[in-house]
Amino acid sequence: MRGLFRWSGKWWPGVIPLIVLWGFAAWTSTVPLETDLAGRSSAALKGAVLDKTSITVDGRDVSVRADAFSEAGRRDAVAAVDAVDGVRLVNDQTRLVPEAKPFVWSAERDVVRVTLGGNAPLPALKGRLVEATRAALPGVEVADQMGLARGAPQRFEEAALLLIGQVGKLKDGKFSLSDGDVTLTGMARELGGREAIATALAKLPEGFKVASNEVKAPPYIFQAYKDPVAVTVTLAGNVPDENIHAVVVGSSSRKFFSEKVVDNLKNSVGAPTNFVNAVVPALGALSRLSTGTLVVSDRDIKISGDALYDAAAAQIRTGLAKEVPQGWQVKADITVKPAAAPVDPTVCQQLFSDVLAKAKIRFETGRSDLDRDSTGLLDRLVEIAFRCPAANVEIIGHTDAEGDSAANQVLSQKRAQAVVDYLVKAGLPGDRFSAIGYGSTQPVAANDTADGRAQNRRIEFVVR
Amino acid sequence: MAYFVAFHGGWLAGAFAIGLAMGWVAVVHRAPRVSGWLTWLLAALAAGLVAAAVTCLIPGRAGYWLELLLVMFVPYLVGCAIGTWLRALVVTRSMRQRSAA
Repeated sequence: MRGLFRWSGKWWPGVIPLIVLWGFAAWTSTVPLETDLAGRSSAALKGAVLDKTSITVDGRDVSVRADAFSEAGRRDAVAAVDAVDGVRLVNDQTRLVPEAKPFVWSAERDVVRVTLGGNAPLPALKGRLVEATRAALPGVEVADQMGLARGAPQRFEEAALLLIGQVGKLKDGKFSLSDGDVTLTGMARELGGREAIATALAKLPEGFKVASNEVKAPPYIFQAYKDPVAVTVTLAGNVPDENIHAVVVGSSSRKFFSEKVVDNLKNSVGAPTNFVNAVVPALGALSRLSTGTLVVSDRDIKISGDALYDAAAAQIRTGLAKEVPQGWQVKADITVKPAAAPVDPTVCQQLFSDVLAKAKIRFETGRSDLDRDSTGLLDRLVEIAFRCPAANVEIIGHTDAEGDSAANQVLSQKRAQAVVDYLVKAGLPGDRFSAIGYGSTQPVAANDTADGRAQNRRIEFVVR
Repeated sequence: MAYFVAFHGGWLAGAFAIGLAMGWVAVVHRAPRVSGWLTWLLAALAAGLVAAAVTCLIPGRAGYWLELLLVMFVPYLVGCAIGTWLRALVVTRSMRQRSAA
């Protein structure tokens, strides 16, 4: 052993080749070592919940730069790298992602894409929200502009997924979450979309509430077109439900006595209030036109066309606005159809009879007030009366045999007079028209059936 | 350390080989011995470098290179010791044979 110690004093010349060898070793192994450590450090962080992770290695020292979502997550990430074989020191440059206050998240829909914005609490959840959006809107581009932040409210994912499920009902607009407040803006894709969204959002998880719902629905449209050539009235657009559908079609059939009613209506929710009380008088106005169009858009009524005579045009312009419920707007663009050529009394009688064969002038039950559904028919009779300026016309009222015969005579007289009054109001000279009531004395059918009695209740025009 | 040795196995083997050769030569080498005070100086330097390496005083690549140097010294010294011991055995045996003759 003493010899070994003595000879060790002569070992120093070997240090020179050793230093040379060391130089080569350092030259060739540094970069491979750093690459190896970087790879294994990254692998160690694979399962960690981090964002913006970057690893740099200098010698055997590893710098970890990352955004963590909790203090424990941050510590675990550093410990995982520290445990990697060969790592000497870990330079901890991790930080917690900032806390968002308020925590805002949004889904915005436009024509071609859905943009997810605001913040998500975790990268995995961010991915899930994008996937859910793609699944909810196949074929629509999804733009992910979400950042990451801490501070999401409890059950954030549930609320966000619920909103994503509703984005498809928007044509354009934005759903936002700000802590627990949900804000909705935009335009629904379909009628009733607004209501459907509101219903779905009733299932928002606890802690969330709808702060404002400004989603608008497309205008509620109802249209009617009277075509004198095809002799049709075409109803199109929306009605609120089956009952109102039946009311509108039934009313149209009575008002448009000579036209075929083409029903292209469909039932849709989202109608403005008092829809039927506005549409029925508007259809009454349309029935007085020779040709015309009625468009009801939300609470705006636009009617245009040709009235049969001047007074009718004036009555429609001023009368319809009074008949519709409050809050509804009427725009009447009514012109007057050019007067037809005069005819001699024989032709006049024929024209009256033709019209009255198609429909009867109706009155309120047991009274002499004209039924509103008969206004179109009366206007047609007025138009004919204008064409025969030389004729004197007797307006004759008849009733069925039900009830007291004297009372029936009075009722038939009053009803005939009501028709005469209508003609005079239309601008015809009163001295050419006389009202006569025959009560039930001149039946045209047996009074023992309902159908026969209905035939007997009538107004006749006789040219003298 | 196991990782370090495994990663640099070839270079450490090289250091051992240099040590073995140096030890083999040292027994019959006529080079001057390192003087006493220089031995203490080198020992102090070595202790300082080891302390710097153990405390991770030098950062980054320089720290790694220092560790590499110190680790390579270990097989070198072991090699020297084994080389010297083997040569001493050989020399002693040949001297015995000569004196017996």
